Amino acid sequence: MKKRGSLAQQLASGVYNPVERLEEALYLISRLEEEVNAFITLLPEERLREEAREAQRRILEGKARPLEGVLVAVKDNISVRGLRATAGSKMLSCYKPPYNAHVVERLVDAGAIIVGKTNMDEFAMGSTGEYSAYGPTRNPWDMGRVPGGSSSGSAATLAYAAVDLALGSDTGGSIRLPAAFTATVGLKPTYGAVSRRGLIPYANSLEQIGPMARSVRDLAFLYSVIAGRDPLDATSIDYQPPDPYTLEPRDPEAVRLCVPEEIIDASEAPVKAAFEGLLSRLEAQGATIEYFRAPWTSLVLPAYYTIAMAEAASNLARYDGSLYPCHDSRARTWEELNVEARTRLFGPEVKRRIAMGVLVLSEGYRDEYYVKAAKIRRLVRDRVLGIVRECIIGQPTSPVLPPRLGERLGDPLQLYALDISTVTANLAGVPALQLPVSVEPLPVGAQLMARPRGEVDLFELGLLVEEITGLAGVSAF
Amino acid sequence: MRPVIGLEVHVQLTGAGSKLFCGCKADYRGMPPNTNVCPVCLGLPGALPVPNRRAVVQALAAAMALKCRIPGAIVFTRKHYFYPDLPKNYQITQFERAGGAPVCTSGVLEYLDPAGWVWRRARIRRINLEEDPGRSVYPGGSIVSSEEVLVDYNRSGVPLLEIVTEPDIPSPRAARAFVEYLLLTLEYIGAVNPRLEGAFRVDANISLPGGERVEVKNIGSTLEVERALEYEYKRQRLILERGGRVERETRHWDAHRRMTKPLRHKEEEAEYLYMPDPDLPPVLTRPLLGEAEALVATSPRRLLDEITGDGVPLEVAWSIVQARPAASLYMEARGRVRDPRVLARLLGVDYKGALREAGRGPHDPSNWPPAETMARLARLVEEGEYPPEAVRGLIIPGLVRDPQASLETVLPEKAEGLEAVVDEVIRAYPRAVQDYMSGKRRALDYLVGQVIRRLGRRAVDPREVRRLLEERLGGG
Ligand SMILES: [Zn+2]
Repeated sequence: MKKRGSLAQQLASGVYNPVERLEEALYLISRLEEEVNAFITLLPEERLREEAREAQRRILEGKARPLEGVLVAVKDNISVRGLRATAGSKMLSCYKPPYNAHVVERLVDAGAIIVGKTNMDEFAMGSTGEYSAYGPTRNPWDMGRVPGGSSSGSAATLAYAAVDLALGSDTGGSIRLPAAFTATVGLKPTYGAVSRRGLIPYANSLEQIGPMARSVRDLAFLYSVIAGRDPLDATSIDYQPPDPYTLEPRDPEAVRLCVPEEIIDASEAPVKAAFEGLLSRLEAQGATIEYFRAPWTSLVLPAYYTIAMAEAASNLARYDGSLYPCHDSRARTWEELNVEARTRLFGPEVKRRIAMGVLVLSEGYRDEYYVKAAKIRRLVRDRVLGIVRECIIGQPTSPVLPPRLGERLGDPLQLYALDISTVTANLAGVPALQLPVSVEPLPVGAQLMARPRGEVDLFELGLLVEEITGLAGVSAF
Repeated sequence: MRPVIGLEVHVQLTGAGSKLFCGCKADYRGMPPNTNVCPVCLGLPGALPVPNRRAVVQALAAAMALKCRIPGAIVFTRKHYFYPDLPKNYQITQFERAGGAPVCTSGVLEYLDPAGWVWRRARIRRINLEEDPGRSVYPGGSIVSSEEVLVDYNRSGVPLLEIVTEPDIPSPRAARAFVEYLLLTLEYIGAVNPRLEGAFRVDANISLPGGERVEVKNIGSTLEVERALEYEYKRQRLILERGGRVERETRHWDAHRRMTKPLRHKEEEAEYLYMPDPDLPPVLTRPLLGEAEALVATSPRRLLDEITGDGVPLEVAWSIVQARPAASLYMEARGRVRDPRVLARLLGVDYKGALREAGRGPHDPSNWPPAETMARLARLVEEGEYPPEAVRGLIIPGLVRDPQASLETVLPEKAEGLEAVVDEVIRAYPRAVQDYMSGKRRALDYLVGQVIRRLGRRAVDPREVRRLLEERLGGG
């Protein structure tokens, strides 16, 4: 275990040295990447070194941009022009987007160095990082365990410090769960706060691109760069992210935390203990902790998966082997090509979700599943919005410690159950921040949920939690 | 046996400027394949649709013109089917029963049927605003047999209005009139140039008493609408008269062989997996209605009423309204003439006819003279300055050749010294004079013709020539 200083602070004081930092990162990559498998695509070292030198030059000349020379990893479902974007699937193993995602455009403009594209569950469908066509990612805190998914590579590479910031995407916990399993910090933003343009879609109405880092302040820093209105995303909202420099930890006396009993009950003992430890320390400092019943908790997973699978079936219809061709095909007609590509190039979990998605949208089933799920979603959203108006919701991010590799693969319901705590924020469209609570014996994370556009509340409370846990900047290597 | 006809008209909003959800051009004609494309209309992963405001406004204007019920918000839905020319394998459209909201429900179009000059009514079931797919070509035959598919996505994403009527149309001829009037209405909104190749397509369904409903697909022009339905009407009538059964089926119009052919016999209920498009929040209509209303201000119906209100016969008014530049000229010039009927005839009959003769399009404003020129010409005609023959034969062809020419340069010289020419002709054609004197009336026509010929490009009233000849030759 290691602890690093705040990147934001180094940048602010002008002591950040991109050339030195890159050499350290390249060393860590050479030592650990083969085992961790956090990246699907890494940029050539020479190109990275050149970029670092260029950044260094700008810093010395006093022309540094907000993220000048900062090492960033980008999840492989986020488009970077000319760099292949597989989304963890064989289906897109040759696809090179001809355009940058909006967030990538902003990263590049801010001077960040993109180190590579990170491993992920295929099309972001998975909670452990094991459903990648490019092999599973391992958890740097315990190489026998999963790092969580689907933003598995982004979390893992932060945990072994090959980068200082990362982009993930969160459809039902895909940023927060891996952040929880790797003792990193991750934010699922308010729906619409970050443009989705360039994000290879899984479930459009649920997902957001979000920042990942090793401390709340660094995360806020990245967030201030990527958040804000994009006129080319019709679901984007007018929104000004908080200023990362002026953020202060919240006065504990002013903290009101609401804790859903159902989630605590569903959590295994070590998780519960770590989380309750945090609660009592907060309370000791004067915070108000209230427990409440959330009887809708049993409905959130079925509703979430129904909607997500329906949208997935729709989004993935375009992959028919013709516009994204990348295999030796024996097909003689367009229809054969179609069947062949979808049979051979989609993994089992993707096929399962497409099949389920088609079912829930079919005539005769739509009302019973898709329409009903949409109703539950509205109900959950209304309840959650009612609560976050009054207080911040706090709960363990994952009900369990990071599972061992292979442990959750047998039974899909076991896999889906990992998301019990995270999907609510996606259904409700509210922001949710995950940050580490403890790392002994394994990482445990806490999730904070606030009102829409309430990221500032999350950051302030997050800074307070970091003061208590002392885990800001922690990494496995 | 009277048929019952319903229509489904797909009209591209060629006037929308850009495609429905991206910045590529709405009019792709003349462009090399796959050059009018971007990540959005290619359906690349992560590309997001953003509704084109102008297309939505034009669709709303169409809904207003068709007296529709307009919803508070337009909700787009995805309709899924696998097809090579559909890059996302779903089409963004609207479907009410899956949470969508079309641009219009339950409207009505009153259309003029020039066969008999009667106004007819057809109820409109709904109007959808949707994306046009790309175009695919199968060099080896069909989608199931060809080893190659060539796809051009230039058309992909072009805004398309799908206008569906109730089965209210009484004849193939009326169906054609409906489509023509509908297109004219949309043209006045500025939404479409119906003369562009592929700007609209029609599917029609037709049934006869005692028979099932047959759908005819792939009709590409208004003339074909009438032909296809006429063919189908006769086919079905023959079956029924012979005691046969007309099955419910979908048929394909083969414009080349002028017949309908069965498409698929068993009509399967397709499963389109409709769902609201999560990338597109509902588009609120209220803030757009003012803009849409401005587009429907000059509808063909309003213009027809105004023009016929001036005493112009309906046929002439219809001819004017069918050519938008003529209608604009009429409206601009009508206040500057004494008798608007003269102006109407000049525009709708004489000038438009001369354009057709010269092979020039009546829809291109640059083929028409300025309003001032037309108004002055109309006044000259009213005052009897020039006989109709001179106007039709000399002045108007001159303007057609150069619409920007000043009237003076195309006006023929006044025929000074007419009497001298008449005397000349009498001397030159003694045989004809003799014939006339001996009672052959037709000889006078000949002499009149000779006088006019000798006058060349100078204006003359043949009645005046005739009067002079008779005077000289002593009555007759
Ligand atoms: Zn485009």
